[in-house]
Amino acid sequence: MPENTNHNVSRRRYLSYAGAAAAAVTLAGCTGEDVEDPGAGNGNGNGNGTDDTGTGDDDDTLRISQTQNPTTLDPHDHRETTTDNVLLQAYDHHISRDRDGEMGDGIATDWEVLEEDRHKLTIREGVMFHNGDELTPADCAFTINRVADDDVGNLQSPQQDQIAGVTGAEVDDDDHAIIVHTEGANPMVFSNLASYVPVVQESWIMDRQPEEVAEDINGTGPYQLEEFVDGEFTRFSSFADHWNGEPPIGELIIDAASESSSRVNSLRAGEIDVATAIPPSDASAIEADEDTYVGDAPSTRVLMLPMLYNEEPFDSVEFRQAMNYAIDFDEIINTVLAGFGDATAQPTLEGYFGHNPDLEPYPYDPERAEELVEESGYAGAEIELHIPAGRYLRSDEIAQACVGFIDDLSNVSCEAEIRDFGELAGQLLDGDISSTPPFFLIGWGNTTFDAQQNLLPWLTEGTSQYTFVDEELEDLISAAQTEVDEDAREQLLQEANARAHELAVFVFLNREYLIYGLSQRVEWEPRQDEYSLAYEMSFR
Amino acid sequence: MSQARFLIRRSLQGLLVVWGVITLVFLLRFITPGSPVDFVAPLDASPELRAQIAINLGLHQPIYVQYFDYLFGLVRGDMGFSYIRGRPASGIILSRLPATIELAVAATIVAIIFSIPLGVLSATRRHEPTDYAATTFSLVGISTPNFWLGIMLILIVSVGLGILPTSRRPIGLIPALEMLIFQLQISGIRTWIAHMILPAVTLGTYFTAMIVRLTRSGMLDELGQPYVKAARAKGLPETLVTYKHALRNTMIPIITVLGLQLGSLIGGAVITEFVFNWPGLGTLVIDAIVVRDWPIIQGALIVIGIGFVVINIAVDALYTKLNPRVSYE
Repeated sequence: MPENTNHNVSRRRYLSYAGAAAAAVTLAGCTGEDVEDPGAGNGNGNGNGTDDTGTGDDDDTLRISQTQNPTTLDPHDHRETTTDNVLLQAYDHHISRDRDGEMGDGIATDWEVLEEDRHKLTIREGVMFHNGDELTPADCAFTINRVADDDVGNLQSPQQDQIAGVTGAEVDDDDHAIIVHTEGANPMVFSNLASYVPVVQESWIMDRQPEEVAEDINGTGPYQLEEFVDGEFTRFSSFADHWNGEPPIGELIIDAASESSSRVNSLRAGEIDVATAIPPSDASAIEADEDTYVGDAPSTRVLMLPMLYNEEPFDSVEFRQAMNYAIDFDEIINTVLAGFGDATAQPTLEGYFGHNPDLEPYPYDPERAEELVEESGYAGAEIELHIPAGRYLRSDEIAQACVGFIDDLSNVSCEAEIRDFGELAGQLLDGDISSTPPFFLIGWGNTTFDAQQNLLPWLTEGTSQYTFVDEELEDLISAAQTEVDEDAREQLLQEANARAHELAVFVFLNREYLIYGLSQRVEWEPRQDEYSLAYEMSFR
Repeated sequence: MSQARFLIRRSLQGLLVVWGVITLVFLLRFITPGSPVDFVAPLDASPELRAQIAINLGLHQPIYVQYFDYLFGLVRGDMGFSYIRGRPASGIILSRLPATIELAVAATIVAIIFSIPLGVLSATRRHEPTDYAATTFSLVGISTPNFWLGIMLILIVSVGLGILPTSRRPIGLIPALEMLIFQLQISGIRTWIAHMILPAVTLGTYFTAMIVRLTRSGMLDELGQPYVKAARAKGLPETLVTYKHALRNTMIPIITVLGLQLGSLIGGAVITEFVFNWPGLGTLVIDAIVVRDWPIIQGALIVIGIGFVVINIAVDALYTKLNPRVSYE
């Protein structure tokens, strides 16, 4: 056994190591109160302004933390809401939307249908880009053409379908306006331009390589880019020459933490002001903290369980209705979603153009469900629900609960099949209905606030992901697609929703809620379209 | 065999390993369910648009053509083009490398600072309270999952006590040192240290606990050797016996494990990076996997593989410096 004869030296040596470590902690932590932002002031590209000791009351910087950083700064070369959430601080759409989705003046001050395939937008005068140049109608026409036409603007935009039917745009020489051309009548064109295709400057885009456009911003929006560190943060300052006036908050930093607990902890530690995509289970902890509160809004995404119309047992309307009666969705909303969700009765969300207010969600009635299964002739059916793993807010738990309720029926057995989203999406989107699973969960987002985008892709034969075909339903949707009279079109869409409800084309699940954690110093009412726009926020 | 010849031979072996890694990583893409097109294409994209995207991604070529294109691209430093991010993958990956290396090295330093003295104390004070404390710490450290420890540290130290920041890396080490040296500003390095402590402790705890065990058992072996008795018999101070003779001989397995662990830390800090929102290779790989950004996934895994090989060769080269009895034969 080794002897130990010189303890004092060992202790001293060890304590010196421990002392050094403690000194490091002290240096870093205890003196952290006057830590300055290493990047914000000197513009050397090194820091995001994260104040180690929290957000001080006199701090004019708003910090937002979301789930992902932007994948690009090119506003026409992505499909992610998280990227839009950064870019729409600095870019404007042609037409603006308020938090409830109502359209209003933006870059365009007026819009009208000239002929069924010609649409005029009058462009506001005196709008400035961040580089000091004035916006022209030619920039607006170029913007639309850049998305609609693969040969314009050095880009094959993945957003083409967002302005489906638009063939191009040109400057109206007589007015400060543009003319948007469409393939035949297109009642969606203004709604699409209020949700998609942010306005860019033609010369700024064309003078740069695509890689440069992906890393810089020149918009007309209320915030201008100061610094972008890929994968870390984006820093903006307020744009004094914004057409709608300078925003009240001077500096904005947006970063990302994919782990929700990181965002919640950062909020509670006072490091950020707004945390997006808070899980319902964390909402109570945020409310319990005196420095933070929860903000929420119904989102533009609906969860549903499509059922293939031509696959047994889902080819029976009685069986499909039985699936709706079988699930106690109020219970799911209360337990799984902690109340953050609305049960739905139709493909279209409340508040959308074409929503049918007369429809009520199918009630929970397992006896009626069992009767309908018997009537369908499919008693004893064994079905499988395909679930895209972890794709939406608590969607795995919602789907498992649905499987449990259906399996509780005495004459149907149901199992869950957890799938990789990419693999499942590949089967859904290949345009071949025979490869689509007969029963699956999907979330569908539609920021146009119009029923057409909820009905047409799923319920019209020939689209890449249709799951249901019914002649009467398809006629209604097709008629609405070309009807330019608003009242008549609304009537058509409402009838289509009623027909979809009656046929039980989906198991109608819930409208997702957007849940935000907010610092008490921030005043803001969340929007339905998932964008946390800093110019709508203010400090108390 | 001379050291130079040994290093050349090990480097050639390392190249073979890297080639194997590249091939495996390339093939991974073809055995993973789901197509990259599904993540690039809009959910309601037409089959024609999806086919066009597949062509843009080069997926229409035979596998062997894609493989050789990829291999020759790597030789030129081209890891492919991330269509999801609209930029070359190599630039994105290399920009994340410093954060990961800083974290791995910091965790290793934490481990060395605490584990070796603790292991020596534990061995020299066997069956005393210090030994029991060290072995208990070692057991707890090895048994504690990283993600749990990280979350607990954040809740206690950051949210509860408000001493250190919860997450993020607002400044890198190099810019922080530049600020210190060229602008005489301490705030940069102070911020860097503040943000580094919790992730480094989290990542280094398991590592520390393991080295404590290794040091303790190695020291117990060495302290029982005849040369130690001889050293004591000739009157050498116990400090010299312990640190100069016994500890030095214990260092060979410790260095081996340190090297291996440093390599695995570069690739294995994923969970810690995730919990602390650390913008390194780990979070990049996770984000890339979520959206099937294959050029990023492949490039990052290859960089991690290369790091592993290089560190192992460096560890081999260190052996003879530590112990002249080790030869390259």
